[in-house]
Amino acid sequence: MSFTTFVTDKAGLQKFYEAVMASRETYAPVEKFGKFDFKRVARLSECDPVSPIAKTLSIKPLFFPRTAKVMKYVATSAGTDVSEVDEDPLAVKRVILGAKHCDARSLQVLDKVYNWDYIDTDYQKRRENTVIISTRCDKADTHCFCTSLDYDVENLDALDVLVVNGADGKTYLEARTAKGEALLGETFTSDAVRVTKEEAAPEMKKQYDAFAASFRLKMDYKEVNAKLAKIFDTPEFENVSGNCVSCNTCAFVCPTCHCFKISDEKVKDTGVRYKSYDSCNNGYFTLMAGGHNPRPVKYRRWRQRAMHKFVYYKERFGENLCVGCGKCTISCPVNISIFEVVSQVSAAAGNRQ
Amino acid sequence: MNYTKQIQDIAAKLFAEGKIDVFVGYRMNGFDENQVPVLITDPQDVSKLVFTDKSVFNLVNYLKTDHTRRKRVGIVVKGCDSRSLNLMLTESQVKRENLYVVGICCEGVVDDAGEKMQNCTDCMVPDAVVSDEMLGTAVSGSGTLTYKKNADIVALAEKPLTERAAYFEEVFENCIRCNACRHSCPLCYCAKCCIDQETATLYNGANTTSAAFHALMTWSLHLAGRCVDCRNCEKACPSHLPLHLLHKQNESVIYENFQEHLAGVIPEDRGAFYKYSLKDPDDFIM
Repeated sequence: MSFTTFVTDKAGLQKFYEAVMASRETYAPVEKFGKFDFKRVARLSECDPVSPIAKTLSIKPLFFPRTAKVMKYVATSAGTDVSEVDEDPLAVKRVILGAKHCDARSLQVLDKVYNWDYIDTDYQKRRENTVIISTRCDKADTHCFCTSLDYDVENLDALDVLVVNGADGKTYLEARTAKGEALLGETFTSDAVRVTKEEAAPEMKKQYDAFAASFRLKMDYKEVNAKLAKIFDTPEFENVSGNCVSCNTCAFVCPTCHCFKISDEKVKDTGVRYKSYDSCNNGYFTLMAGGHNPRPVKYRRWRQRAMHKFVYYKERFGENLCVGCGKCTISCPVNISIFEVVSQVSAAAGNRQ
Repeated sequence: MNYTKQIQDIAAKLFAEGKIDVFVGYRMNGFDENQVPVLITDPQDVSKLVFTDKSVFNLVNYLKTDHTRRKRVGIVVKGCDSRSLNLMLTESQVKRENLYVVGICCEGVVDDAGEKMQNCTDCMVPDAVVSDEMLGTAVSGSGTLTYKKNADIVALAEKPLTERAAYFEEVFENCIRCNACRHSCPLCYCAKCCIDQETATLYNGANTTSAAFHALMTWSLHLAGRCVDCRNCEKACPSHLPLHLLHKQNESVIYENFQEHLAGVIPEDRGAFYKYSLKDPDDFIM
């Protein structure tokens, strides 16, 4: 199936956004305390669809909420009554504006684990009902390395509508999926000119090349995958994790981390069970009921984090559990870079052979 | 403010004399002008050490990890860091004889945007109060610094209660419960935090506004009279929450009511909540 490309200008794009907001539930980056988080918006003035990547949290919470109710229960003398929670507010038809490419890609990565042995129906529903409009970045940030990883940033099909600010000052909108095609077709009629893919390609390519040239960080992910797989017991992990304060921020802001914990909020005999984020950097993460902890020290937890991202997930699902967005590095209170850590550890492996 | 050369020399000397096992300092992160804390065990790595006005993170945090426990440690401390170190010493978390402390006369550090941090402009104790060796010339002079109530809490206090409540509700709503504030705090050293109990859960681990309120308020009260305003928590917060409001409010109340007490300035000072004085106010007791 071939999809449509439109060409318009800044005002046309704004009209498109406004039309989308008028017809669907829309989530977009909203600034609060200097950080942008994806929230429900009614007007374009409330949000910034081109928020700076370094200050924007990921779209993951719209699919895997930071806290979700799992069930409610009431303890009675006859036993415990368990009931379903109210309707999922995230499962309605909605549009996400201003998602970054790395964010969109992270959903593709997460789909693998959510479609694995247990099918998470809530996640599926949220995915099906969401249309993602993503603007291609013009410039890489300090800690970005998406172009070095195992996905094609230029032709990413994880997003539904691609927005490119062409080098010629025009704005290109390209549908990448049927969902995106439908949205573009329904809200975009008069203000834009339909162009063929070939006509739009040169300008879009020019924009992409300028963007790709702005990356300072370059990694050979195949080499990292191969080398890390061989060095589970390297002491280098101890060196690189020394300055980590185990604050877990990296996992909470990561668009691909998906570990969670279960906790109850009880009032007398009634309670609600919640599922909320957790991190493998937490000391108690692997603590077992008998008191044994297979990862009692920090470097082992760090090793798990690095290996899960670049070895285990790759082996199991064929994808890296990292999209190169740099959010973990930006949020880290001590500026530890995952890029530096895996590069350094795999370089140490090279020396050892 | 640049003590890179001096700190490199000191660390090299300490390793050469066999006085320390590990040196805790800063190095460049290699990507931009920001710095990464570094724990140096190999004397050859001493040349990595730097110290400029970008050396923001409070390194006393590392004294509670396995990398430094029961080892002889060299550490760099600014004024605020040294106050937290004082509290760690008073609260028997580290042994003074295991430490070699390089104190800095701090002219203030800068944030990501390159502007002087707010806690530095209000700083009462810029010069390290614990040290084996001081670098730079004293910034505090002879008692010229006066206590300034934090401008943000003064501004907030002028607003009506409903507006303040709405503001803090927004703060707690934006908390993502990662607990990074707690982990990055040098004085949160409990091996098992009350917030993390799996059994007898007083605190809900979920990320609801009420749970965030509960956790953050408990945390700030455990730090009342102890917080040294190093802003590690704010630097760690991925949502950029104004956590200093909680601490500065506590600090100003304590400063005004408990004989101008400032946490960690005097060695062996147990802090406002841990000692009894006849001068303590009792007008709030019913």
